[in-house]
Amino acid sequence: MNATRHLLRYLRCERVVGPFLAMPAMLGLVLFVAVPFVMAAVLSLTNLRLGSPLETKFVGGQQYERVFADPSFQRALLNNGIFAAVVVPVQTGLALLLALALNQRLRGMAAFRTLFFMPVLFPMALVAVVWELIYAPGPSGPLNAVLEAATFGAATPQDFLHDRMLALPAIMFMSIWQGVGFQMVVLLAGLQEIPSELYEAAATEQAGRWSQFWHVTLPQLRNPLVFTALVTTILAFRVFDQVQIMTQGGPVDATTTVMFEAVRAVFDRQQVAQASAMTVVFFVMVLVVALVQRVLVRQRREVV
Amino acid sequence: MLPVSCKEDSSGVSEPQATRLRVWGHAGREAERRTVERQVQGFNEETDDVYVDLTLLPEGEYNAQVQAAALADELPDVLEFDGPFVYNYVWQGHLIPLDQYVSPELRDNLLPSIIAQGTYRRQLWSLGQYDSGLALFGRRSKLRIINARIPDTPERAWAGDEFEEILYRLAQKDVDGQVLDLKLNYKGEWYTYGFSPALRSAGAGLIDRTNYQAAEGVLNSAEAVRAMSRIQEWIGAKGYVDPNVDDYAFLGGRVALSWVGHWEYARYSEALGDDLVVIPLPDFGKASRTGQGSWNWGITRSCANPEAAMRFLEYLLGDDRVLEMTRANYAVPATRSAVAKSALHRPNGALHLYVAQLSQGYAVPRPRTPAYPVITSVFQQAFDDIRHGADVATVLNRAAAEIERDIHDNQGYPPQREEGG
Repeated sequence: MNATRHLLRYLRCERVVGPFLAMPAMLGLVLFVAVPFVMAAVLSLTNLRLGSPLETKFVGGQQYERVFADPSFQRALLNNGIFAAVVVPVQTGLALLLALALNQRLRGMAAFRTLFFMPVLFPMALVAVVWELIYAPGPSGPLNAVLEAATFGAATPQDFLHDRMLALPAIMFMSIWQGVGFQMVVLLAGLQEIPSELYEAAATEQAGRWSQFWHVTLPQLRNPLVFTALVTTILAFRVFDQVQIMTQGGPVDATTTVMFEAVRAVFDRQQVAQASAMTVVFFVMVLVVALVQRVLVRQRREVV
Repeated sequence: MLPVSCKEDSSGVSEPQATRLRVWGHAGREAERRTVERQVQGFNEETDDVYVDLTLLPEGEYNAQVQAAALADELPDVLEFDGPFVYNYVWQGHLIPLDQYVSPELRDNLLPSIIAQGTYRRQLWSLGQYDSGLALFGRRSKLRIINARIPDTPERAWAGDEFEEILYRLAQKDVDGQVLDLKLNYKGEWYTYGFSPALRSAGAGLIDRTNYQAAEGVLNSAEAVRAMSRIQEWIGAKGYVDPNVDDYAFLGGRVALSWVGHWEYARYSEALGDDLVVIPLPDFGKASRTGQGSWNWGITRSCANPEAAMRFLEYLLGDDRVLEMTRANYAVPATRSAVAKSALHRPNGALHLYVAQLSQGYAVPRPRTPAYPVITSVFQQAFDDIRHGADVATVLNRAAAEIERDIHDNQGYPPQREEGG
């Protein structure tokens, strides 16, 4: 009897109430993630075109063959990889440095924190337009002028956004500038959570500042660091706005991204099916990266 | 101002209810926008039985909004669109042919370029109040210093070599050697509008226009490669072209020549006055060529009363309305009678060159095929690559192949049954 009642209660709580409570979120996930993804996957196997009066046909893997054979898409995959490989560590590292520097009890610190956080609040479109002006070519371009003054004339003026070697770094640099404030705030909050007793204990044990950083600060910051790295990785793969506004993927595909190629295919060329294939590739890519990160994080958690 | 209210207001006499026309237009520059609104208001005041309900949509996303409305079956009765999109809209079955509604007088009065732009598969689908054109705006004083001949008609255009000689001599006298503005700060459609005429001038083109099926051998022909290589050299190796990030290269006096459309006349003439000259584009071998085409009106399949819609279009094409619009945007009036009344466009007028180009066969419509959205997107990417120094032949080969693949995917864009109209 008792056991049955327990079982019933268990069923009521876990089997019924649980799913019931999860329903709104699950519904959202299904409607806005699962259904569009399945649709994209199905469309990517057809030749669907925007507004075409011709019959839509099933063409199998043809769109994928084309997408992978397209030099612009190949370059887009490479650019997304470079972007993530550079921006994620650099931006996270820089955010950590900033957070450490701003985690002091000095007068006016709030003003500094606000200043460093401000770029996050600006829309990317606005930031991109402003940086287009900063990167203006010729000696009168602001960045060129600064570089020339700082190197006493050794640096020659560059056309950053139209140089095949400099365009992607220029986009990465402004993206880091725009995004670093967000991670900084997360890490700053993490830093302030660390109990001061830990540092006092470390100091009693004769640990220097460097040693304190390695053995107290970093381990204590693990969760915020994992979180910021994950979010930045996903954002890095989604990069689109600044490319669309500043370079349109050029010069010669130097800054094109998977998202940019997909948007161009569907909105400029009405090639819905081809764009769907690109987004499916994109989804799989982000999924793999997220899974790998999850596995790494879980392993570390088990060790600790 | 609702049309239903007419019935109630009209002191007991029963009138037939006014036909209500839903009209979509593009929100252009402020002067253009105000003019269109004023003209719609004028039409509604003059006309008892037709009422026009105008909605202006932002220019940037215009085509996307039309496509969305078409999918939802919510197109208006009268639709404005950028010229070269008409063939795609016809193919998709959104428009009706205008031939049976246009009066012979109006047809005869229209510039040939307007008819050419609106014609697809031997039927007329669209009408515009104005047309456009390209030219080189020059600073007379700077050209005089180097003793350059200043051509005033398209047949006397600078030959390619002569033009390069002029650029060279101008550069010798210039601080940074940058003497030409190609509006490299513009994005999107500008590349196709501004530079595909150079292909035509060289004897090449975007696509073979006999049946609009082949780009191979046209877009990547030896002539095309030579013409695009020339422009690439001006920008790259020879450094003649100002990047014009601030859109002030010509106004600020940094360059002597600006390769752009008629729309810059307002700013340029105000700043330069008599020092401004309007020069035809250089001849790349087969005579000077310019772009043409602009915003157009068409009647959609969902319009229940095409005669009423045509009355609205005829009203817009009246001389006063056409001239009011071209005074606002400096475009070329679309009718011969309006051109004759426009001091700027009459023979010896400052902008007569544009009329000459349009009426004497120097203007080329962009390819009249439903494949145009793809052709222009592919060419824009190709020109951007060329501008940045990529190998011209490789880029054009790839572009030609991409265009042909799209045409093949669409079974050659076969005529649809509805096109019979």
